[in-house]
Amino acid sequence: MEKKNTIKMKCFRFDPNNDKESHFETFEIPSNGAISVQNCLVYVRENIDPSLAFFINCRLGFCRRCLVRVNGKSCLACTTEVKEDFMVEPLLKEKVIRDLWCDGL
Amino acid sequence: MDDIEELCDKVISTDLLIVGSEGAGGHAAIEASKSGIDILIVTKGKIGQCGASQMAGADFNVDGLAGKELGFEGDERDSPDLFFETLVREGLYLGNQKMVEKYVEYAPKAMKDLMDWGMKIYSYESAHTEEMARGIISSGILWVAAIRKKVKELKIPILEDTMVIDLLITEGKIAGAIALDIISGETILIKCKAVILATGGWHRAYPFNTGPEDLTGDGVAMAYRAGAELISMEMVQFCPITMVWPPKDKGSIILYIISEVDPFGKTIKLLNNKSERFMENYDPTNLEQSTKEIVSIASQLEIEEGRGGPHGGIFFSLKHTRKRFMDMLIKVASHRIKNEMKDTRYEFTTLLPELLERMKTEDIEVGNGAHYMGGGIKINENTETSISGLYAAGECSGGLWGAVRVASACTEAGIQGKIAGETVPKYVKSVENSVINIVQVKEVLNRINAPLLKEDGTTPNELQQKMHDISGKKVGLIKNGKDLEDGVRKFEVLLENDLGKLYIPSSKNKKLNFEWIRSIELRNMLTCLYISTRASLLREESRGEFYRKDCTHTDNDNWVKTIVIKKKDGKCDIRFEKPIITKISLPQGKLTYQEAIGVATASLKRD
Repeated sequence: MEKKNTIKMKCFRFDPNNDKESHFETFEIPSNGAISVQNCLVYVRENIDPSLAFFINCRLGFCRRCLVRVNGKSCLACTTEVKEDFMVEPLLKEKVIRDLWCDGL
Repeated sequence: MDDIEELCDKVISTDLLIVGSEGAGGHAAIEASKSGIDILIVTKGKIGQCGASQMAGADFNVDGLAGKELGFEGDERDSPDLFFETLVREGLYLGNQKMVEKYVEYAPKAMKDLMDWGMKIYSYESAHTEEMARGIISSGILWVAAIRKKVKELKIPILEDTMVIDLLITEGKIAGAIALDIISGETILIKCKAVILATGGWHRAYPFNTGPEDLTGDGVAMAYRAGAELISMEMVQFCPITMVWPPKDKGSIILYIISEVDPFGKTIKLLNNKSERFMENYDPTNLEQSTKEIVSIASQLEIEEGRGGPHGGIFFSLKHTRKRFMDMLIKVASHRIKNEMKDTRYEFTTLLPELLERMKTEDIEVGNGAHYMGGGIKINENTETSISGLYAAGECSGGLWGAVRVASACTEAGIQGKIAGETVPKYVKSVENSVINIVQVKEVLNRINAPLLKEDGTTPNELQQKMHDISGKKVGLIKNGKDLEDGVRKFEVLLENDLGKLYIPSSKNKKLNFEWIRSIELRNMLTCLYISTRASLLREESRGEFYRKDCTHTDNDNWVKTIVIKKKDGKCDIRFEKPIITKISLPQGKLTYQEAIGVATASLKRD
């Protein structure tokens, strides 16, 4: 049987148009079977907050544009599996257009 | 007239607008640049990092003699005529034979371009395991990298992360287009004499698919809105053995790819939830080595009859093999991928070894993902559509394949890109710019802005969910008249009712507004689905990749004809057209589906 549990994603949020500074928001993601960072982000956008900005396209490591930092380390959101609570930040905070989407991705 | 300049945030003028930057669009731009006309590429992502080309296997096809001339092993038994015959026969005769002739003629030319541009090639082999060796194997990543390098070298202007919304037509001719910068939210009026659409398929309209996020049928839908004819929209190919579970790997076709390679192909078993090797009931002689269509349909019938897995698939199994054999497989595969091919693709370097390790003790759940759109914007052998100045190349076009995509879609993209790049400059040089119709511009802008102005209604997420519910249940691999009728009615409601209620709850700011972009894409996806479902309901037979449970015969007496649809007075105007013949006459008689597939697609067999 697959284990059903919940993963907490601490997610960087920043909208330079409205926010003075960035902040973190924690989302609870139901996890059932191996999930990627990108699966968590899509879950948030489809079920909790559709305004969350992040890059997604090929979903399988081809386009290499979904670069983020997970617990401080840079990686592709689509191919990085998460098994426990984690923190996700943009690749380059100084280049954020909104949330996890940076200029130059 | 000055007004027009103020309606959009930016105005750009060019001779030729190319929508899409990859296998078809990039190739077209490079070819067209030889003529000296002004070109602008507008692409929804970044060149080399968007669309489906990057994800291709990728195999390219040329006839065996041309293969030899290009410096490969080739196959002397083969000829352009034999290749042509295979394409027509295995496409079950619905292909436009003039286009097929051009495919065969241009395949080596487009291939030579790619080799000249430095695309690395892994090997020459029988890619679709044809009777003849016709496959040149590279990878999607290497393909788009070569195109990107050439486009940059030629300094062809390009707007990235920009989505073309609609075409502008004046007196039946292309006058321009309206685009949207996804990041800044700015609208762009592009004045041009000609447009080449190279926007790929509408994969994302289906809940389970093998395509990237950006394939939302934009080109097909905008061509339809502009009044262009669409053809064979019912021909949607589903790829068997696509991963349905776990979520991280959903949509990957890596197991399908390896199932076509020895020694995997002969070793795998496909099992239902009772651990039965169900292919014994469908094709006892060939089992899992049966044709791709039979394997897909058999798997789907098992699923629909309640013998599928917990996530809606069947099982790909290697558990019956010895551990030593699996260890050997892992070793051989990783040596070949890492050392010989020096492949960097995640699916090959990481996912495949991970899956093989897992398969020592567990089975992997796989199913049929929407994979390739066989129909699209109706073009002729010169890539011309039914609208002056509008051209289409690659997967968004239709007419080449019949009822089966017999050969390489990568080659299709290359040859049609090249042909469009040769054809369009002549047209551009023969016409003056058309005057842009201000009413049209306003209509488009009002339409896309409407969801931003509303305070309540339906959200894009909700509409997407509704759309996927219908496309997943009513127009999947196995179709039937009742579901198709229901699908047509339901899509009609979404198009006429729900689309108009769309509103964007999260933010009214246009900058990087995912929900807003999705609201525009939803109209395109729903348009493609609706037309595809209408065409599917009309075709009362089964043929190649098109299968109806309520009409399982391949009916050559009544259905060796294509379905052509265009917009007229706001509605679908439907006509039937006999495929254009050059050399091979059309067959008659009724066959069972298996007979038709067995006779016609001998070379699609997995060996």
